[in-house]
Amino acid sequence: MSNSSIRARQPWRRANISTSIQIVLASVIPLPLVMLLALLAGLDLTMSFITLFVPLQLIVSSFVGYRAFGRRGIGDAILVVLTIFFSTFVLILLLSVLYSVITEGAKAISFQFIGQNNVYVSPTTSLDYGGVGHAILGTLIVVLLTTLAAVPLGVAMAIYLTQSQSKTRNLVRTFTQALSGLPSVVSGLFILSIIEATQMGRSGITGSLALFPLMLPTVARVAEEALRLVPVDLRYAALALGAPNYRAFFQVILPAAKSGLLTALLLGLARVVGETAPLILTMNPSSGTNLNPFDGGMTTLPTYIYNYLASSYQTSQARAWGAALVLLMVVGILFALARILGKSKSKKSKATK
Amino acid sequence: MNLVKTTSTLSAENISVWFGERQVLENVNLVFPANKVTALIGPSGCGKSTFLRTLNRMHELIPGAGLAGSVYLNGEDIYADGMDAVSVRIKVGMVFQKPNPFPTMSIRDNILSGLKLSGRKIENAEELVETSLRRASIWNEVKDRLGDQAISLSGGQQQRLCIARSLAMNPEVLLMDEPCSALDPGSTRRIEETISELSETMAIVIVTHNMQQAQRVSDQTAFFLADENTPGGVVEFGSTEQIFNGPIDPRTNDYVNGHFG
Repeated sequence: MSNSSIRARQPWRRANISTSIQIVLASVIPLPLVMLLALLAGLDLTMSFITLFVPLQLIVSSFVGYRAFGRRGIGDAILVVLTIFFSTFVLILLLSVLYSVITEGAKAISFQFIGQNNVYVSPTTSLDYGGVGHAILGTLIVVLLTTLAAVPLGVAMAIYLTQSQSKTRNLVRTFTQALSGLPSVVSGLFILSIIEATQMGRSGITGSLALFPLMLPTVARVAEEALRLVPVDLRYAALALGAPNYRAFFQVILPAAKSGLLTALLLGLARVVGETAPLILTMNPSSGTNLNPFDGGMTTLPTYIYNYLASSYQTSQARAWGAALVLLMVVGILFALARILGKSKSKKSKATK
Repeated sequence: MNLVKTTSTLSAENISVWFGERQVLENVNLVFPANKVTALIGPSGCGKSTFLRTLNRMHELIPGAGLAGSVYLNGEDIYADGMDAVSVRIKVGMVFQKPNPFPTMSIRDNILSGLKLSGRKIENAEELVETSLRRASIWNEVKDRLGDQAISLSGGQQQRLCIARSLAMNPEVLLMDEPCSALDPGSTRRIEETISELSETMAIVIVTHNMQQAQRVSDQTAFFLADENTPGGVVEFGSTEQIFNGPIDPRTNDYVNGHFG
């Protein structure tokens, strides 16, 4: 069908050579200028780069933009320079955090570090012994218990907020928003006071309880947005076919909102998986592996990091960095798993023939 | 599938409709006999679509909706005590203005969705899918891609899929709310042909802004009108022939000849 003599081009990208040269000059000129200024004034090179480079770049780019496009070129140039600068800035910040965690953490990490628990480990024990296996399991158990309670309840709240006509919806929504601003340590204190009052004793489940008020509003609000995005047409279509409300919801609205609900789950997980303060208050640390969330101490990765980072021994600090790296990997694996599970289900519905 | 010729009649008696305090329809009386196509015409905002939604109890889904009067399906008042909205909607199908196939389902699952959603058993699924798609004249276009997502179809195909989805329920009455307003002339023609074929087995009520379409497809026509700040109502109701060629009310004459609206 296609005519071979015609090729796809992008005529809107056509720039004449002088404009290209100007743009290249605009991005290169500020660099030697900054270095020259720094040398002449005897300033620190890094500091002068940070303080001088962006303003200079703005001025030169605006000038070039003006030459090429007139007045509107100035606005475009300023927007482009600021966008590139700030996005690079944020990217460098994030990458440097990641970089230090990976380089510091890599010193401690090994299969034994991931697999073993912390029994018989003293602050001076060599990194060849002991590990964070018990803390990985602790994190998974505590977060899983929180998720089991918070996700169904959060989605249920979102259903109530989007599907019902009830007058109390706004009140519930306001409370949810207020709850999402709750400092995590307050949530921990609340559960702590219950522990003290009831003498129930600290265990994994008390830690989960302290995380629950943090996860619930995040899940509820994101899930509400996800359900709200489903067109009301679909609900009407289902009801007009003679569907009772619950079937219209479970077979039409919920599947249509699936990817948004998955995001709600992930943001909820992200909210609690790194929480430290409430867990310090509500759980006893343990150096051994404990799989029973209803009895005994349990260490999670964040509390493990907290305990070891405060130590002045080098091996302890290395363990803390290693645990931080493991925590990042656990979060990455959890997110990837959730995405894969979400995808495979939608593929299944496509494949029915 | 066994297509029984239905002899059901739908009739609306003294229908008045409110949204909150505002009355939008007053005293509508219309009869929709089996195997006849009825067109509802009139300017925008005169309550045609609202009236259509009272016929399968979709009106009550809008917050603040109010209603007086009765709608009889085969002699039974669908708003009577103990009458279930769900059972009414199974018998009275609806096609919306904007095509609204279920985006998470395949073409095939869209056709079967009505049965699943109303909790009925599906027998001879393949046969039902083919018959329904054939009746909506879309079978030839989709028969090789029944497993594809419904939203991969064009707008006109999506609308015919929605018609097929309603037909799979084998309704006694089919309500259509400007089904061709978003479609190109080719798709419109095909849907009009479909309507003519369907009218052999069911009663059809169609809201349309297209005078030619009303003349082409319908047997009888009702002209709705709402004066400023007053509820809408039926000005004239009669055979399509009479409404378009010999209207009694001068306002009907003006409207069908394009003098206002």
